[in-house]
Formats: sequence, C-alpha cells, structure tokens
Amino acid sequence: MSKRVSVLRIAELFIRYANFTFGGGSASTAVLHRELVARKGWIDDSQFGLCYALSRLTPGTNLLAFCTSVGWVLRGFTGAVVALLAASVPCAIIVVLMTVGFNQISRNPTWMIVIQGATTAAVGITVVTCWTIAKPHVKRTNWILPLMLVGLAFGAKALMNISSVQILFAAVIVGLLLPINRR
Amino acid sequence: MKLVVLYLVLLKATITSFAGLASLPVVREELVVKGQLLTDTQLNEAVVITRMTPGPVGLYVVTVGYYALGIPGACAGWLAMVSPALSVIPLVHFVGKKYDHPRVRMVLQSVVLASAGLLLAASIPLATAALTDPLMLLIALVTIVLLLRTKIDTLWIILAAGTTSYVFSTARLLLVGLI
Repeated sequence: MSKRVSVLRIAELFIRYANFTFGGGSASTAVLHRELVARKGWIDDSQFGLCYALSRLTPGTNLLAFCTSVGWVLRGFTGAVVALLAASVPCAIIVVLMTVGFNQISRNPTWMIVIQGATTAAVGITVVTCWTIAKPHVKRTNWILPLMLVGLAFGAKALMNISSVQILFAAVIVGLLLPINRR
Repeated sequence: MKLVVLYLVLLKATITSFAGLASLPVVREELVVKGQLLTDTQLNEAVVITRMTPGPVGLYVVTVGYYALGIPGACAGWLAMVSPALSVIPLVHFVGKKYDHPRVRMVLQSVVLASAGLLLAASIPLATAALTDPLMLLIALVTIVLLLRTKIDTLWIILAAGTTSYVFSTARLLLVGLI
C-alpha cells in the first residue's frame, strides 16, 4: 500500500529529484526509486514495478509518465498533475536558460568539469538501480529466468542495437506466454 | 496559429516515440526539411544542450520550440513533451485494478526485468562519455558503494561528485602549471 502523502511533499520530491539529476531520464528514475522506495517508503517495490513498467510502455518521455503514474498512485489525479508539473517545469526553465546562454556556457571549462563529475555519479546510480529494480523479482528458487530476461534485453540493446520499444513489446509477449507457475 | 501548428508538430513527434531522442527524425522532417523553422545546427545544439542539463533527454523539444518561436515556442515544446505522459493515468488506473491477476503481474514483471537490462545498456554510453580517467572511475565506484551501503540523499552524492571532479581537476591543472 502507498502512504498518504501531501501534495506539497509530492511536489517537493519531484522538483528535487526529477529535475537535478544529470544523465537523462534513466538516471533520474534511478534516483527516484531510491527516494520513493528505499528512503521514504511512499510506495513499495510492486507499486514501483507497476508504475515503471507502464511508463515504459507509454509514448513520449518515460520519466514524465513515471512521475505522473507515481503521483496518481499517491494522490489520484491531483497527485498526477502535481508530479508532472513538478517534474517538468523547473528542468524546462533550466533548459531555456541554458539555450539562451549556450555559447558562453559550452565554452566554460569549469561547468563542463562539474557536469562530467555529476554524470559519472549518474553512471553509478544507473548501474546500482538496474540491480535494485530487478532484485525483487530474483528469488532464491527462481533466479535463472529473471536474470536471463535482464541479460537478453541488455544484449539486444547493447550488442544488437534493437530499439527499446521492440524489446519492451517482446517482454510483454514473453510475459503473456510464460507459464504462471514458473514465476 | 504558428504556435498551435508548432505544438501539434512536436506533439506528433513525442506521441509517436517511446524514448527521449526517438522523436528526432519527425522533428527534423517537419521543422528542418518541410517547415524550415529550424536549421540542422540548431537541432544538434538542442540535443547537446539537453545532454548538458539535468532532467530527461526529451527536454530537447523545449529548446527546439525556443529556437523556432522564442519563449512561446518553448512553452509549446514543453506542452508537447508533457501531454503524452497523461496517457499513463488510465493505464495505471485499469491495470492497477487487475494487478493481483497472475498474468498481469507476469507481464509487468517481464517488462520491469527487460527495463533493468535496458537501464544497464543505457549506462554504457554514459560511462563512455564520463569515465575518461582514473579519477572519474573512482568517483563512479565510490558512488556505487555509497548507494549500496548508505542512505545518503542522492542529490548530495551527485553534488559531491561534481565538486570532487572540479577540485581535483583544478588541483591537477595547478600542479601542471607549477611543474
């Protein structure tokens, strides 16, 4: 079950963690998993799985769909809209400011070094989150199939450059065809 | 009128793609080739800018909107970026109700596991761009240890990584200057 969380706290969380993580949507989702599940306990791993899986199957920016779905789980429609606004407005403003000053900023070595350091942290966050989101599905009695699915998806993307959408829809088909008792 | 058209074009791009830059071909076709509201250089800059800023890569449509029609264009880009996200609400609502069904759980579990693999694959280009020297490798390893062993706020870890990178790079430059 999700915790009853105020709209203000939802806004605060998504403003802080969906807008200020370098490394794209995957890294931001990774940070949000840690905050929502591990640190704050607002949602559990199965709710995270529901929101995460469905946001991956939603058109557009997956991170925004993820934030919207978590907002929905926490506080219904109001929560969804607040989460979406909180996750998208500040970073959009930052992007506009960056666009206006692009020529100056891109030539500033200090800024570029700081960004590289922050992106390095995002690498670590992304790798750790890969394990933390897979872990609830890897059981002592059933670990081969889950790890095989992770490995196949990784190989299809990293080695064969198959599009993420095709891989995710293949996963849907696998989920539909696998016998239930093999979970 | 131009603003509405820009919104619809960008919406067409975002709603027909399932990841940040997957909408790029439609944006280029509609705004660079057909509409000539944008140049290829500006489109490339839009992508570079979102790589340099925090948040999702899909934010590049905000920059595209800004280049096309200024601040109102940026607003149209933002709206086109957030609109598809609302379609997840009915999905969560209806699938959430069926969540206890073993088949639904199985499908979602498969998607989550495949997404974990995709996440790992997404870290490769990030690592290639960021892990350029031993210091960066050390920062990444310390980040992993901190995440696994502590509950420190992730923002502090990111801030510390940026600061460490800056301090050590400056110290290195100073040392080279002294020698």
